[in-house]
Amino acid sequence: MHESLAFLLAMAHFAAAIALSNGIFTTFGQGKIVSTAIESMARQPEAADSIRGAMFVGLAMAETSGIYGLLIAIIMLFANPLVNIFIQNMG
Amino acid sequence: MLNLGIDNLWVVNLFGTEIWITRTMLNTWIIMLVLIVLAVIVRIKLRSFREIPTGFQNAVESVIEIFENFVDNTLGEKLRYLGPWFFTVFAFILFSNLSGVFGLRPPTADWGTTFAFALATFILIQIVGIRYRKMDYLKNFFYPNPIFFPLNLIGELARPISLSFRLFGNVLAGMIMMTLIYSLTPKLVQIGLPVFLHAYFDLFSGALQTYIFCMLSLMFVKGASE
Repeated sequence: MHESLAFLLAMAHFAAAIALSNGIFTTFGQGKIVSTAIESMARQPEAADSIRGAMFVGLAMAETSGIYGLLIAIIMLFANPLVNIFIQNMG
Repeated sequence: MLNLGIDNLWVVNLFGTEIWITRTMLNTWIIMLVLIVLAVIVRIKLRSFREIPTGFQNAVESVIEIFENFVDNTLGEKLRYLGPWFFTVFAFILFSNLSGVFGLRPPTADWGTTFAFALATFILIQIVGIRYRKMDYLKNFFYPNPIFFPLNLIGELARPISLSFRLFGNVLAGMIMMTLIYSLTPKLVQIGLPVFLHAYFDLFSGALQTYIFCMLSLMFVKGASE
């Protein structure tokens, strides 16, 4: 029983790590947003304020998937439902 | 040592039902108290406000004016009356995000709090949409073809969930980072370093997420009205 519980916990940690790896793409997307915003700010400094506002909203939108991954990782580590089910069933 | 969860402080027995007073609720009440005291002070000082502002009046007026301009620019003249509600939401979320600096567990690091605000925004979107566009708004759910109704419904229901999870995830991530720093590093590291981390995770990230929550809510409400 202890061996299978250890296996379950190890898998939960793997799952958390995989869920966090979507940060790679989130960061790429955010980097692209910021680089484009800076480019257009350099081209039109008088529109910098409105570009900055749009940039922050875009960053927040792009961050959503990263935040979902983080939440799944946190659930896997701290509030994993499978471990409780397992412990209940195994007695 | 490492306490990331929400503690249960007391259990109140009210007419046979147990009501759990959690840390989130206590911190919410503290923030409500601070905001109410601030509001009462402003109300008392309002009598002595003059034509030419000085000191305290300057600060209050600039805050109100900045927010009014922000709402006017995003919502337009037609929906101007919704401004006070969004100011309330803004003030509460900002204060609760900043409360991490004072060692409180931010109430917004509990999904219940953020989902309540996101649900309020969701209800507001539906009310504004039906009030200003009547049947046209409901027809929007069947937009290209009635087959798309389930997809449109899921898209609509995903709004409060994504809105609440965005705020919750950001604040929770900041709180976990700060708890880890405080509980896992040696005392020597904790002398100067947490100041910068607090500045980033609580002040910058908290203020930015508050702005984004309000901005997205305003944009959704604006989108529903036209």
